[in-house]
Amino acid sequence: MVKKRLIPKLLLKRRRLGTVERMVLVTTRGYEQVIEVGDPVSQAKIYEAQFADELIFLNIDSSPIEPQAPLLDVLRRAASETFMPIAAGGGVRTTDDFELLLANGADKVCVNSAAIADPSLIERAAAIFGAQCVVVSIDYRHDAQGSRVFVDGGRTATPLDPIEWAVRAAALGAGEILLTDIARDGSGEGLDLPTIRAVADRVSVPVIASGGCGLARHFVEGFLDGHAEAVAAGTFFCFRDQNPMQTRAHVRNAGVPIRVKT
Amino acid sequence: MGTAPRRTVGIVDYRAGNVRSIANAFDHLGCEVEIVTREADLTAVTHLVLPGVGAFGHCAEKLRASGLLPSLMRWALQDRRPLLGICVGMQLLADAGEELGEHAGLGWIHGRVRRLPVAEPGVRLPHVGWNMVRFAAAAAGFEAGESEDFYFDHTYGFFCGDPADVAAECTHGATFAAVVRRENILAAQFHPEKSQEAGLRFLRGFLACV
Repeated sequence: MVKKRLIPKLLLKRRRLGTVERMVLVTTRGYEQVIEVGDPVSQAKIYEAQFADELIFLNIDSSPIEPQAPLLDVLRRAASETFMPIAAGGGVRTTDDFELLLANGADKVCVNSAAIADPSLIERAAAIFGAQCVVVSIDYRHDAQGSRVFVDGGRTATPLDPIEWAVRAAALGAGEILLTDIARDGSGEGLDLPTIRAVADRVSVPVIASGGCGLARHFVEGFLDGHAEAVAAGTFFCFRDQNPMQTRAHVRNAGVPIRVKT
Repeated sequence: MGTAPRRTVGIVDYRAGNVRSIANAFDHLGCEVEIVTREADLTAVTHLVLPGVGAFGHCAEKLRASGLLPSLMRWALQDRRPLLGICVGMQLLADAGEELGEHAGLGWIHGRVRRLPVAEPGVRLPHVGWNMVRFAAAAAGFEAGESEDFYFDHTYGFFCGDPADVAAECTHGATFAAVVRRENILAAQFHPEKSQEAGLRFLRGFLACV
């Protein structure tokens, strides 16, 4: 049986230091209140030593993916210093962007706003790079208008329902769905289990649940109640005394099949 | 690597593989790495890797278009030198693949590449993540009877025609070949270059075959 996955999510922002532009690791709360944490590649190496199953790098500035983009430099360094799967995204617009990210060390590409603007991007990317390479990232909020998908880093509402959009994205060729409840981001209140479960039960591709993990128990809930294949967390792994290894022991003790260090 | 002779690993670059990640892993293991785009690049190479990411037919077509097939055939079939196929690079060794239509493979290891079945509840496709590989025969430094988790990311599986070619199996919907081995040809459905310590051990095992 394939093991459930724990995925540290590394959010990146551009910072200009003198004449050099580089990317720093940050955490967010509700996609705002950005806190700078440190160097993403150092943190990636720590996560690998702590036996994380995979890493997700997201450029939250969504600046264009161009050959000189600092995101590519982060990926190149992370891929040469860690030997684990890497998904990357933020600002992905075209299949050329996929190619640049893959050529610089990503194994999978997360696409968000551009897939909503033009859903055929999912089909085209899957045809070239394979469905296993295409992660459709969905940011959503529950508010007075119901459940809606947001784009542009959570700033712009769309009329799309997150569950319906996930089903459509999977049908178009997404290999995985990364679901994030914006309101829970960085809150530590726990995952949005009803939405995660509704999506996981309607699509046949793996669902990565994210947004709200504050306790090891929240990961267990994501797997057992949310039917997620993977749970991703940013703030939780950055600031808590918890690290992926301790969380893993907790998840395993709850009876969830997960990799153990031998 | 201790006092082991210096290895030069060639990675076949036919515009359909994660060449950089594989190069990084062998570089970490102390090898020289040569990106192979033409016959002349093979001069110093001691171990050759055939990667592959994407749909079977797309990869097969890119490999044929690369003009490297005659060199690969000489390397693997005539001179019987060490070859490692990874992911779709493994699948291409089969007789045929059924992804997005029927496509001919190289036929170097008999079998077909078919979509994994999803009849059981909880079996999702693609098969993404870490799954247990059970070694039935010694291969790449692993002993028969050993089990280890490796990282997979695929939808189609290699179903071997000759069970003697299967060195290790994995189960997701169906039991498929995780590692095939025939003489100098070794191949893995998982990504050793992305499987942390277990993967590096596998790659070291490949380097140890001469």
